[in-house]
Amino acid sequence: MANRVAIVGVGQTYHKSKRPDVSQPEMVNEAVRAALADAQLSMKDIESVFVGNMETFEGIYLPDHGLADEAGLFMKPGFKVATGGSSGGSAVVEGSNFVASGLFRTALVIGFEKQDAGDTTGAISAATTPVWGKGMARGALGEFAKQASTYMKQSGATEEHAAMVRLKADRGACRNPYAHLRLGLESVEEILKSGYLMWPLRLLDFCPQSSGACAVILAAEEEARKITNKPVWIADHITVHQEPFRAGTFGDPTGLETYSEDVAATKLYKRNGISNPRKDIDMAETYEPSNWQEMMLYEYYHFCEKNEGWKLIEKGITEIEGEFPVNPSGGVIATNPIGATPVIRVAECALQIRGDAGEHQVTRDVKTAVATALGGPNWTVMVLLRRFL
Amino acid sequence: MVKEPSQEHIKIPIAMSRPYRWATGRYLGKLYKEARDNKKLVTNRCPKCKELLWPPRPVCGRCKVEAGEDWVEMSDKGTVIQYTYLVYPLWDPHVGDRVAEDYPNATILLDGGVYLVHKLEEKDPEKLKAGMRVQAVWKEEERGQGLNDILYFGTIEQ
Amino acid sequence: MAERVAIVAAAQTKYHLNRADAEEGELAFEAIKPVLQETGLTYADDGNGIDSSVTCSQDFWDGKTISSTSVMSYVGAHLSTEDKVAEDSINAVYCAFGQILSGHHDIVLVVSHCKESQGDKSIIENTAFDPIFMRLLGFDFITAAALQAKRYMYEYGITAEQCAKVAVKNRGNAKNNPFAQEPMDITVEDVLNSKMLVDPIRLLDTKPTSDGACAMILARENKARKLTSKPVWIKGMSNCYEGHYLGDRDLAECDALVSAARRAYDMAGITAPLKEIDVAEISEEYSYQELLWMEGLGFCGRGEAGKLIDAGVTQMGGQLPVNPSGGMLSGNPTVVAGMARVAEAVLQLRGEAGDRQVQGASVALAHGVTGICGQHQCVMILSNK
Repeated sequence: MANRVAIVGVGQTYHKSKRPDVSQPEMVNEAVRAALADAQLSMKDIESVFVGNMETFEGIYLPDHGLADEAGLFMKPGFKVATGGSSGGSAVVEGSNFVASGLFRTALVIGFEKQDAGDTTGAISAATTPVWGKGMARGALGEFAKQASTYMKQSGATEEHAAMVRLKADRGACRNPYAHLRLGLESVEEILKSGYLMWPLRLLDFCPQSSGACAVILAAEEEARKITNKPVWIADHITVHQEPFRAGTFGDPTGLETYSEDVAATKLYKRNGISNPRKDIDMAETYEPSNWQEMMLYEYYHFCEKNEGWKLIEKGITEIEGEFPVNPSGGVIATNPIGATPVIRVAECALQIRGDAGEHQVTRDVKTAVATALGGPNWTVMVLLRRFL
Repeated sequence: MVKEPSQEHIKIPIAMSRPYRWATGRYLGKLYKEARDNKKLVTNRCPKCKELLWPPRPVCGRCKVEAGEDWVEMSDKGTVIQYTYLVYPLWDPHVGDRVAEDYPNATILLDGGVYLVHKLEEKDPEKLKAGMRVQAVWKEEERGQGLNDILYFGTIEQ
Repeated sequence: MAERVAIVAAAQTKYHLNRADAEEGELAFEAIKPVLQETGLTYADDGNGIDSSVTCSQDFWDGKTISSTSVMSYVGAHLSTEDKVAEDSINAVYCAFGQILSGHHDIVLVVSHCKESQGDKSIIENTAFDPIFMRLLGFDFITAAALQAKRYMYEYGITAEQCAKVAVKNRGNAKNNPFAQEPMDITVEDVLNSKMLVDPIRLLDTKPTSDGACAMILARENKARKLTSKPVWIKGMSNCYEGHYLGDRDLAECDALVSAARRAYDMAGITAPLKEIDVAEISEEYSYQELLWMEGLGFCGRGEAGKLIDAGVTQMGGQLPVNPSGGMLSGNPTVVAGMARVAEAVLQLRGEAGDRQVQGASVALAHGVTGICGQHQCVMILSNK
């Protein structure tokens, strides 16, 4: 009989574009210390460690090994997973699996990225080799731009809607001391005045390259209840991959593709008795690398019907005070240390369920939350978190 | 007012070349050979879903079956579905430098039904539009680099 | 452990100096096809198909970010679950073990691949060293290993001859292994006369460049029994990290291995490894490592592995044959090596190891190692009972 698993502590760094004051191991150490402090535990209490990070981003082979001393891997079991952008999500999944299995009573899950020590775009371009795709990849940017223009055509979403999402993200970020971009944007007009990065994406539309780390501590039920009176249960998780789209990495002008998010959401909701997502789930933290994608994700995760994602933002439904808050932390548009990002999604949901999200705590009482991760090409990890099992 | 001395960080730039020798394998190898020898694009078809696989390979990932050797020659003409224009240089690890591609990057639907991402010869943004007809412009010499044997796709009449 | 997990099928490609004829996915498929055929399994999440895959490869060796995309089409990842472990592939087997024990999955395919022929070993390995203190010294794994070999030999009096005996044994054992890349008939003198690479490691103390892939299928007990008449049970398994900075470690020791082994033995109920284990497959990238790892595994006391090999204990026919397959030294790519050890252990326990069979083997040990001087170690105990 598998153990039930709960999150008993979370910690993250103050995410910034550059952290010249710390080395990568020191930066991860900050997040680990923060998580331990939150759980009131020490490394003695941690039985295993799971790391999520893509080695090419900082040009380090076996990056988890380099962190062994500073990140608490020293003399602990564990391993690193690397599934692209969803690496942190996969680390949470595997950590959860190992605690559920009974092999360990506690697990520390770490995601991190120190973007100032590497070149993300270059690394993403290296996901192709000269054998297939050299020179054709423009990193993630070109793909998101194409995806955005397809969405506008198919759904009727406008640049105003994208700007509204951007404004929502910034409002959340300004209330989240850990967020990276806290711009103080005042209006949709202000955003529409800013220049294009790659049409129709504006500089503001796209996530930053952040340096940061996030750690969560998982425990089996018996331990969890001893450690905290506010355990956040990992009720379920699902990972769905997919073959690359026929016509691009993220966009689907063909209309032929089945989306991994769709399959993941369908299965996850069905086996957890969720038939009306916006009612049965109280909030979500999604992995949306651009504000355009956030609107699309509303559809893929069944928060609304197809081609209607832009309506949710137009009606303010996904705001912090809204009926179904999405990304109250500012989301990925405000903060994206890639390896850490999925772990941040999980940590932020946990804080919301605990009522510990401070200024960006949502108005709705959060008993159930869903955290998602995105990897390339279009891989999905979803984690369902609950206050009560 | 006294100015605080600013912290100096020691920077040690490390630039390393990491050479690789990638094998094309059998299936991609066939595509490479036809492109090099005959300026033709070929790929194989999945026996189950009947779709053309792109790139050619031994299995159909969607059907999860072996794909076999049903090879098809494809037209190198197609229609532009989407295009985008890179404005500033991005780091290209295959070149080891920042590169701003001169040519627009496009998703092209080849007449055979396969989607190909490649460059467009037409650089004038006024003249670019989705739906325009294009055809591969092949390198005349020194082919043998697979899809890079096509310089770009040039505009043709409807 | 209430529920048991078994390996129901395993396959390896014949390891080769340079598989220029196959790209990564095609190479992995050569190992995947046999396990699919043997079990008749397809990809399905109805409880009777493969409902998850764990792949294992290193982006730096593949020269490709998210290197799992090379094999995803071959492991049925489309609209299904796939995870990728970035350590030696024995850890991917561990990941699958955890996935099944967690109750999330029933039947998991594990695949690893590596084509050492495609990359530059020294450059890739250099980037494993932390960029601030060690990398600029120009380290790669063999130079670090040489430091460890020297330290180990100095501290415990292990001799170059004893290390050479490992190479002689393993290269000779490889003659019985149809998957082995480079079986050889060599003597201790041949090893000691071979070219010095990095003192004290000579050419014949190392393995050749190698390309290959390995695949296996794990299943929970009630499914395993339907899939094969010869399930091989995982009785105990664990791994462990140790410190990174070479100056902090006493390289004569292998604390991570001692810890991983202890946990694995506890799970499997083993207290006297030398007596209770019938055959061991250990990842020895350099000849001295087989001796050091044997001590970490508790086959003998510290510093006594030399005596063990002198007495012939680890030969074929000895009390505990080590690496009847020929081990890593006879040619396995990094990343794949640990899983190859598991595959060989599976063959031994199924009685399918042909000329390299250890008669009556019932309990086997498989070991994998990742990183600088074995910074990460993983130990698995398997049994056919």
